[in-house]
Amino acid sequence: MAEITTNTTTKQIGVKRLNKKSTKVDLTPMVDLGFLLITFFVFTTTMAKPTVMNVVVPNDKDSTIHDDVCSSCALTVMLDKDNSIKYFEGSAENAIVKETNFSAEGIRKILVDKKQAVKQARGNANEMVLIIKPMLQSNFQNFVDITDEVAINGIKKYYIDDAEL
Amino acid sequence: MGRAKLPRKSTNIDMTAMCDVAFLLLSFFIMATKQKPPEAVAVQAPTSVSSKAVPEKSILTTLTKEGKVFIMLGDDTKKAAILADINTTRGLGLTPAELTKLGRMQFIGMPLGTLKGLVNLSSPLPADKMEGIPIADSATNELVDWYRSVTNVYSGGSSKALEEMMLIKGDNLAKYPAFKNVKYALKKNSLYKFRIVTNSEITPVGSELYNNNRAGVDAAGEKLK
Repeated sequence: MAEITTNTTTKQIGVKRLNKKSTKVDLTPMVDLGFLLITFFVFTTTMAKPTVMNVVVPNDKDSTIHDDVCSSCALTVMLDKDNSIKYFEGSAENAIVKETNFSAEGIRKILVDKKQAVKQARGNANEMVLIIKPMLQSNFQNFVDITDEVAINGIKKYYIDDAEL
Repeated sequence: MGRAKLPRKSTNIDMTAMCDVAFLLLSFFIMATKQKPPEAVAVQAPTSVSSKAVPEKSILTTLTKEGKVFIMLGDDTKKAAILADINTTRGLGLTPAELTKLGRMQFIGMPLGTLKGLVNLSSPLPADKMEGIPIADSATNELVDWYRSVTNVYSGGSSKALEEMMLIKGDNLAKYPAFKNVKYALKKNSLYKFRIVTNSEITPVGSELYNNNRAGVDAAGEKLK
């Protein structure tokens, strides 16, 4: 191993022996240091890897393109202040506006239920259209969260309506 | 009476092996750790279920919670070209030496008019003192000019490659209208696809995406590779 074994048994007569010192080094502090550094690096390393999310925005320069949406397929969510969501089904006239939040019991359940309802009414869940209306007081997190819900629930058609902002 | 003598053994342990292991582990952790990419300013990114990794080269636009915008212009060869392009298209009147100085900055977060003064400062301006690229209204949205220069420089390559490089990193608490102004600048340059930098989050169990992932199909019901 690290220490060099010195042969002490042989004796040479007539030769003056040098005072031999042990070459053993105490490696304990070295080990301490090693593990200290490991602990430091393990604790300071953030495991969270950033990821990217794709966003597609419509080309609205071409005003001739229209998408017809059946009124029973539409669900409008308005992102409001303090992470609250207001939503209504169908067209904006005489709609009943309800309030919810970003939890799994809140918006996710509403989206799943709406998809089911559209599937029953129209035979195809992909006809559902989600209209996202971020309000002035909403923040960037709200927008990412709702886009995330779209991905989680597999909603094929969604629009971001921020033209009035 | 004679006492039974216990043989005394040395309590010295050879620490060499232990030391070897410690440093082996240390070198492993150091090498396996990826360096965090440099950031203009620290922002708390939102979380999403997306699992795509951040590309190596990117044009990163950072949006802070105060609504300030910073831009980082990818790799050095293209960076110089982008800076040269915006210098001529906006008539900034920067000399080649000043352009090189500007290129050495990791990010840009000042109005175009102040860039000349900025590069000639004796000590570099800290990021928190920078006022950000103006985006407030569509007439003076300078991010439009930056993105125009970016698209000009990358016009030779495939548009898909550029789309994959356009990253927006926003703070959780950034107001939506500020993000809308960034989006406006992208749309103005016909960049309709871009990416948002997020931290990863676990897909909720039982959701449609979770079931699709388990079945190995994408959202359209096609088999993933």
